[in-house]
Amino acid sequence: MIPRLAISAIAVAAFFAAPYFLAEYHLFQICLISVTALVVLGLVVVTGLAGQISLAQSAFVALGGYGSAILTASWGVPLWATIPATAFFVALAGFVLGQLTLRISGHYLALATMAFTAIVQLALIHSDPVTGGASGMPVPPFRIFGRTLASGGELYYVVLPTTVFLFLLVRNLTHSRFGRALAAIRQSETAAEAMGIDVLRYKAVAFAASGFLGAIGGGLLASLSTYLDPAQYGITQSVYFLAIAVVGGMSSSFGAVLGSAVFVLLPNFLQSFQSYLGLVFALLLLGFIVLRPEGLASLRLLRNALVPAAKSPRASR
Amino acid sequence: MLAQVLVSSITAGAVYALIALGFVLIHKGTGVVHFGYGDQVTFGAYLVLIAQVIVGLPFWLSVLAAVLLSVLLGGVIYGGFMWPLRNASLLARIIASLALGTVLREFSRAYMGPNAWPFPFLLSPTAVSIGGILVVPANLAIVGVSLGILGVLFLLFEKTIYGKAIMAACDNRIGASLVGVRVSSVFLAVWVLASVLATFAGILVAPLLTLSPDMGLIGIKGFTAAVLGGFNSLLGAVIGGITLGILEALAGTYISSALKDMISYSILIVVILVRPQGLLGGLTIRKV
Repeated sequence: MIPRLAISAIAVAAFFAAPYFLAEYHLFQICLISVTALVVLGLVVVTGLAGQISLAQSAFVALGGYGSAILTASWGVPLWATIPATAFFVALAGFVLGQLTLRISGHYLALATMAFTAIVQLALIHSDPVTGGASGMPVPPFRIFGRTLASGGELYYVVLPTTVFLFLLVRNLTHSRFGRALAAIRQSETAAEAMGIDVLRYKAVAFAASGFLGAIGGGLLASLSTYLDPAQYGITQSVYFLAIAVVGGMSSSFGAVLGSAVFVLLPNFLQSFQSYLGLVFALLLLGFIVLRPEGLASLRLLRNALVPAAKSPRASR
Repeated sequence: MLAQVLVSSITAGAVYALIALGFVLIHKGTGVVHFGYGDQVTFGAYLVLIAQVIVGLPFWLSVLAAVLLSVLLGGVIYGGFMWPLRNASLLARIIASLALGTVLREFSRAYMGPNAWPFPFLLSPTAVSIGGILVVPANLAIVGVSLGILGVLFLLFEKTIYGKAIMAACDNRIGASLVGVRVSSVFLAVWVLASVLATFAGILVAPLLTLSPDMGLIGIKGFTAAVLGGFNSLLGAVIGGITLGILEALAGTYISSALKDMISYSILIVVILVRPQGLLGGLTIRKV
């Protein structure tokens, strides 16, 4: 108990100390990693844990970003309220989309979620009066307690705690009855059903959770980038999120953070090869899925460093 | 008006059918759904372009080079990725095929730039009037080639012993190898064939659509066509493609051209939900 308390205390201290030591740009990068990790956490729940392939993640991100920005822009409700409110409705949409899994799985699910993403993107492009159409729309500033958080350095105080809270929530959920039920469904739906798990409901809830996380991530991402461009929310982007999940480790919530860190930081090291960035990401995805489908989180070195629990006898079997 | 819309829509339909044939060939022959096939089609056209613009070969030689290279590509895809992943989970195989497509697309983007390239027609793109309806020879060629490929594949699968071997290998790997089918060569052959088909499709389709790295998104239309026709039926792929083309053209003309794509994606979802075996496919029964 004491070491955990100490770790928490150090984490809190580091959180408040970081803005004094890091440059604005680095805080922005930390925010970007956190937000991406939130989106990818959604995939960890629905694909990594429940085994349902989803290419709908960028649609959820788009709905979260556009929904909260439109509500704020047209009704003046502050973003800190509209982002969770929108996420709630996106979660409902995710629940409805999850009902598809009653009849379809595997290839067909990938196709249907792909089509869903394409439809959402086209709907955003063709609703000019509300969304600004193909040219996109600006995101209203993030105001909280009478302050306007304009930069990455200021949004840091909102983005990071939100991510940590949701990350811990997902982590605890994975080790709960809910998480074990999803893992059972992934391994065998028939066996899970025979054990009395309401398979369809659990799968739909997993989709709802991925929608919620994607939408919160989308809302915060919109505030960070201050502009919404519909071209950024297509099928390609869904594959990008899937790539992050695979490289980090699909079945681990730490993997989502690891993968996001790799994909956000890598462009800094490849400055002179900007046009090859997409190719590098694609090769990373291909390499990991063929050679190490469990991702970075499964590397023993990283595992021991990051997850002290992995050293416990229970995990060492 | 209606007649003109229908004739033009058949070209679009033939494009979808051509891509759908590739999906069905791979799925029927190896049991894999190749999510990167649309990108592979695009890559085929890029191969011709690279041979022509960068190497400086004449057009016909470039086509030949592209076909030879796509034979190699098919071999690499099978040997490098599909064979090692033959026992991996369905999820891993789906992601791998998505990844393959992304690699091909991003290679084209990195090497040839993100902008569109002009691509020569094989036949004249000028319209000829037949009985008051404008017909474009280059578009007719696509319809002809689609039907021709359908015929060849149909004969291969239904009338030759090789087709039987392919079906057997796909259906039951161990059983097929017990009766003397060399399963790995069969799968290799299917991948090479599909890869060459992709390059032909790319060459035919590129002048119609604009050749840019993102042309591969047409793949989702090919999927819709394949699903519409039944994922295991070659004839279904062609019928599905033409049906989709006509539905899109009708929706574009009489409802709204902005909604055209949304309608075809909605068709995809509805067909998957209501009739997952498609128009011509047989039901597969899942055993516990």
